[in-house]
Amino acid sequence: MAFGVKKARVERAVAVLAAAFVFTLFAILAPSHGLVQEAEREALVTSQLAEKVAFVDLATWKVTAEIAVPGKPAGIALSPDRRRAYVTAPEAKQLVVIDTQERAVIKRIAIGNGPLGVAVHPGDGRIFVADWYDHRLAVVDPQSLTVTAHVTVGESPSGVAVTPDGRLVLTADRDSHQVSFIDAASLRVIKAVPVGERPFGVTIDAAGKRAYTANVKSNDVSVIDIELGKTLAAVKVGRRPYAVALASGRAFVTDQYVETVSVIDLKDLKVIKKISVGAYPEGIVADKAGRFIYVACWEENTLERIDARTLAVTGSVTVPDGPRSFGAFLR
Amino acid sequence: MLRSLTFGLLLMPLVMLSAAHAHGPTRQKVMETVEIDLPAEKVWAAIGDFQNLNWHPVIDKTEGKGGNEPGAKRKLTLTGGANIFEELLKYDADSRLMKYIITEVDVKVLPVNNYSSILRVEDLGGVKSRVIWKGAFYRGYMNNDPPEDLNDAAAVKAVKGVYRGGLDELKKKLEAAG
Repeated sequence: MAFGVKKARVERAVAVLAAAFVFTLFAILAPSHGLVQEAEREALVTSQLAEKVAFVDLATWKVTAEIAVPGKPAGIALSPDRRRAYVTAPEAKQLVVIDTQERAVIKRIAIGNGPLGVAVHPGDGRIFVADWYDHRLAVVDPQSLTVTAHVTVGESPSGVAVTPDGRLVLTADRDSHQVSFIDAASLRVIKAVPVGERPFGVTIDAAGKRAYTANVKSNDVSVIDIELGKTLAAVKVGRRPYAVALASGRAFVTDQYVETVSVIDLKDLKVIKKISVGAYPEGIVADKAGRFIYVACWEENTLERIDARTLAVTGSVTVPDGPRSFGAFLR
Repeated sequence: MLRSLTFGLLLMPLVMLSAAHAHGPTRQKVMETVEIDLPAEKVWAAIGDFQNLNWHPVIDKTEGKGGNEPGAKRKLTLTGGANIFEELLKYDADSRLMKYIITEVDVKVLPVNNYSSILRVEDLGGVKSRVIWKGAFYRGYMNNDPPEDLNDAAAVKAVKGVYRGGLDELKKKLEAAG
């Protein structure tokens, strides 16, 4: 009997602990991650030649706002709560912080000589900015909005991505033909993985198992096993691939020169379709549900939507001149 | 364009060494058009062969291989003797469109990098058509703080000059011939 009482007590204690744990978990996650669970409603388009960021409503498929961002905006990432957008302005040599609800620039942060790709840590919100000319990654603190550290990587880093568990930051070092693996906690480069020629965009899958680079010069996509820190394969795509989006077991790759999005089946690593889109497709991203892919077409001045099931273009909207949206641009 | 060529020749040697390094400046866009009082088919017949850019006043000679198939190559010889090497990426006779890139050019000849272009003839109905020539490219100097003759403005000006010169001459020639 004594044993039974003890057991019941232990069970009660466990239940209380579990409840407390779940509650704490909610308390921690709700403010920062609550919004992330909702479907994206907007696309933020960096229009480089117009020097604007345009907001596109994904339901009405209309441009609802445009804000001026001098300095030829290119790269983009959002804070974990999606309340801020971080946009690189390479010619102004700045990271521009935008309040996505107020639709206003709240700060411009000087970043070396060539800020380009940008990504945000999913847990602590730190902003990682690739500096093309200074060959390093700038780390920006989201509270103080100041640069707190630099990590030297390979030559001309362009794309940046963070693993979903927040453990690693990856940079596509274009002129070193490699991807640098950086420990997000210690900010040390722990590995440099050779990929195809001139990698530009780098994208990590939701499981954090594989990374994909679009290699501008070798016209292929490198498939990297993150755990092994090794390139497993290269898949030929269209001319001058720029970036990669991932949805439902497929990779969608923007082929800048041939105006297509190459669709790769990730199981057998074969291109199963080339979808015609507007001229100079560049930034590409999938929504969280993996239902639609959004592509910024730089020369066509459009944002286009691809149905991930039918692989057809189902929407297009004209945006200000020179849309790039290099990064994660849905909120 | 020719003026900018000579100008470029004088200033170029100093910057050539570092220009090959990397890109990073902003890609530029140029579009020039001309309306011609002739049916689109007729205009396309005059300019739609990738292996013949001799309709352009500054082109002396076009030599190449591969016809009008994607992957075809051509070597252009300019009136001054300089060369531009190009490759056809896309060819669509039905939409009267070709897309090609420059694979090799000295920035002294044309101050651009990573240049791609679309040439297209649009049917405006009846006996009217529009030729659209579009280019996307980076400036001649690929690092920060370019010299004046290799900056964005210089690249845009040079490409505009090439397009304008070609299109105006084309209109004149074709309309005169009827």
